[in-house]
Amino acid sequence: MAFPAHKPTGRSFDAGDYRYKTFSSQSGKEHRILYGDKRTGMTLQLQYANIADTAADDFITHYDEVKGGFDVFTLPSEFRAGWSGDAAAIDAATGNKWRYESPPQISSVRPGTSSVTVNLIGVL
Amino acid sequence: MAKVYTGRDGVMQLAGTTLAKVVNFAVSSNLETLETTTLGDGVRSYSPGVTGYSGSATLLYYKDDNNAINTTNLLNKIYKTGTSGVSSTDTVELTFRWVDGTDNNDIKLTAYITSANIGAATGDIVRAEIAFQGTGALATVTV
Repeated sequence: MAFPAHKPTGRSFDAGDYRYKTFSSQSGKEHRILYGDKRTGMTLQLQYANIADTAADDFITHYDEVKGGFDVFTLPSEFRAGWSGDAAAIDAATGNKWRYESPPQISSVRPGTSSVTVNLIGVL
Repeated sequence: MAKVYTGRDGVMQLAGTTLAKVVNFAVSSNLETLETTTLGDGVRSYSPGVTGYSGSATLLYYKDDNNAINTTNLLNKIYKTGTSGVSSTDTVELTFRWVDGTDNNDIKLTAYITSANIGAATGDIVRAEIAFQGTGALATVTV
């Protein structure tokens, strides 16, 4: 099963960074060494408020299928709902795929209705 | 026959007994709505959540010919001696009725008295003001 194709009600994206180290000389001049040419470590939080329990459990099913935070995966286009910019801008950058940064959190709202929060991280 | 109801048609009952000297009452129903709007939607959408009932009433503090106070069984649900406070058995069965001859339109519920206010003021009649919070489903709705 692919990542559930539900439209989120909230989305937060952090673009990550390139891998480099910074060294400061005694004079104060900063030197940086770039270790990779790909941006990584981007994070994505998706919120699905007040969805049916039968939709909420899709995230647990997928979480099991990818062995929790072990396997990587891509996201369906639905996660970008409402985004009118470049599709790639808020997706895992070139060479990256998503994995779970933490287990999906399900909050029960009322009988049959739950809210789900999913935290993902882009890895090379 | 067509009818516009007025305050004269209102009746408040406690456990099936009409309370005397009720000045006013109000019963509110509220529905919690759960927003289901997703990113990309231009119009908000909602699912129904949980419904609840609450209200308030004002009664004149009145002693009848048998020395019975009309507000006793309401006020003693929240004005209590001892350290136990209010327990789950301290509910009241309230009926709010709008009368048209023999035709009654009722809202009946079980409720906790959540606040009560009674005092005395020079040149004024003593009133007891109560607020209640319904618990569980309505027992009767004929409105």
